Amino acid sequence: MNNWKRQHPTAIFIGFISNLKELIFTVIAVLIFGQSSQAGGTMFYTIFFSLILVVSLGNGIIKWVTFRYQLAEDELKIKQGLIFRKRRYIRKERIQSIDLNEKLLQRLFRLVEVRIETAGGGSEPEFRIVALKKQEALEIKNELLHKNPAEKTSEMEETGESLPMEEKSVSKTTSDQPYQWKLTGFRLFITAITSSGIGIAATFVAAITSQVQQFIPDAFYEQFIGWLLHSSILFIGFWVVVILFIGWFITLISTLLKYGMFQIEKQLDEIHITRGVLERRNLTLSATRITSVRIVQNILRQPFGFVSVYVESAGGGRKEEDLSTILIPLCKRKEVTQILENVLPEYAVDMVYTPLPKESVRRYIVRLIFPSVIIAGLLTYFLSYGWISFLLPIMAAGYGFWQYVDAGIGKNESLLWIRSRAIARTEVLIPRKRIQAMTTTQTFLQKFDLLFSVHVSIITSIIGKTFTLRHISKEQSEECYLWYSYEETENNRED
Amino acid sequence: MRLKPKQQLDLKALKVWRIVAILEWLFFFLILITYGILIKYLTFPVWPIYLILLGVLLIGYFKIFLVPKLQWEKWSYEIYENEVELMYGILVVRRVIIPMIRVQHVDTKQGPILRHYGLSTVTISTAATVHEIPGLEEEKADELRDYIAQLAREADPNE
Repeated sequence: MNNWKRQHPTAIFIGFISNLKELIFTVIAVLIFGQSSQAGGTMFYTIFFSLILVVSLGNGIIKWVTFRYQLAEDELKIKQGLIFRKRRYIRKERIQSIDLNEKLLQRLFRLVEVRIETAGGGSEPEFRIVALKKQEALEIKNELLHKNPAEKTSEMEETGESLPMEEKSVSKTTSDQPYQWKLTGFRLFITAITSSGIGIAATFVAAITSQVQQFIPDAFYEQFIGWLLHSSILFIGFWVVVILFIGWFITLISTLLKYGMFQIEKQLDEIHITRGVLERRNLTLSATRITSVRIVQNILRQPFGFVSVYVESAGGGRKEEDLSTILIPLCKRKEVTQILENVLPEYAVDMVYTPLPKESVRRYIVRLIFPSVIIAGLLTYFLSYGWISFLLPIMAAGYGFWQYVDAGIGKNESLLWIRSRAIARTEVLIPRKRIQAMTTTQTFLQKFDLLFSVHVSIITSIIGKTFTLRHISKEQSEECYLWYSYEETENNRED
Repeated sequence: MRLKPKQQLDLKALKVWRIVAILEWLFFFLILITYGILIKYLTFPVWPIYLILLGVLLIGYFKIFLVPKLQWEKWSYEIYENEVELMYGILVVRRVIIPMIRVQHVDTKQGPILRHYGLSTVTISTAATVHEIPGLEEEKADELRDYIAQLAREADPNE
């Protein structure tokens, strides 16, 4: 009975490498900011960093030695820690989802990372076993995720604990034909091209190029800068273009790798998302925990009618995706409803929007013109040719008008949908029963035009999130209010 | 449009807000005093002190007299069977609906000044948001807390 197992020894290596990855950022930061080129500096850093390396390696080994797990009948037992020993028993009923991730390093060694998500938040809703053989991981997954206890015990008796799960998974799939959606190669390419991460990547490239100067001999550098200053604005423009292009290229490749082989599979109440070329990532979402759907169309995708779809869910959600999970990286706007019908039928509605009242045009436009006039004024004052920047308020006005045109609201008995534009055009679909609280506000400026704003709050993985639509009419705000109110006799409430 | 909420905060809350405002105002008053001391010992021009005096008095008027009064007048709430409604704010008027079935817990709390006046604040938390009804009489606040908690417990989760 007492068969505690350790992870695959590669866990040490994987832990070490991921430490190294973090360390590299520290090294870069030190190189960039700590430009103390005194003698002995390099010596100090070398010793300092190698010490860190040794410590982290030792730490990894200790972790591997002390981390042990055991798969019991209805739970996963885990022991860890050298000085502070911790035992954790993860009970089967508490488990929300188990995902097997094949990150790059794991993949090299044909291992998987097991990510177990448990219910009820707590201090550690998520639990990872970094490196396991795929076989073992599947065993854990099948043991702990099998929903029907009666069926499970009978099967247990037949097959024993260590038998593979083929039978079980087969019985699962036959019971309910799963729906599948895949991102085609062409679409993947479009996703990568039109990804809006370019800005970030370009900034990164620019930051790197600005640091390159330290590695270039001073004489050459001075000469180069002198030449650059003499050369025309066109030439600087050329560099900007080059940097943007490199940034775009990096985004392109990373998006291709990230969303390559993207696939959704809907089975019963669970949505399985698998993605990634080098790193295979696996994510299970429970449809019952999804609190809203967002349809986002960035400017690059707008001309082609492409959108991406995100879901917020109570629990889950990756950090890098703004606490929400990408459900569909790219599809045509008109396909969304049809896909949602299969994946999240609750959200599959024809969204009809009522536009905002005419009065709110002014508010949208003024809101953007005001800061841009200030900026343009400052530029005119301080720069020759600064007056050109007075094009800015004109553009701002146009943009404000665009925001007004895109803004809209609509609802049926159970769903509210809001469309607005910050930079990308975003549509949010929120079920009434997922709204935690609704607020309408009216600023003193809105008062002149009898306008309101509406805010709805929902739960996301960590904290609440509030969606806002500005400058709706009085009737629209009252409608929202009545729609959300849980009082039956809203209209004639009198004591 | 449905009727606006009618319940108002306790009148003593206004008093408490004013006391808090006075304490905050003392900080501005301190600037005045500091400048006065500076004039005495250093060669600082005298005229700005009148400007500062005017500013401090104006701030005092707004903070201590005008704002709390308006705030109190604008604050109203109503506890219905299925939801709580709040309405408050001077420049930005907020109107909030919190359905009973979304209420996760209700607390009362009081600081030293509120306690001195026998007042307490009711805090209503949902899974995503936190709302406050500041300054109700202690007993009433406790009653309200228990009442909301009970309604929240009884609320039909299928609604």
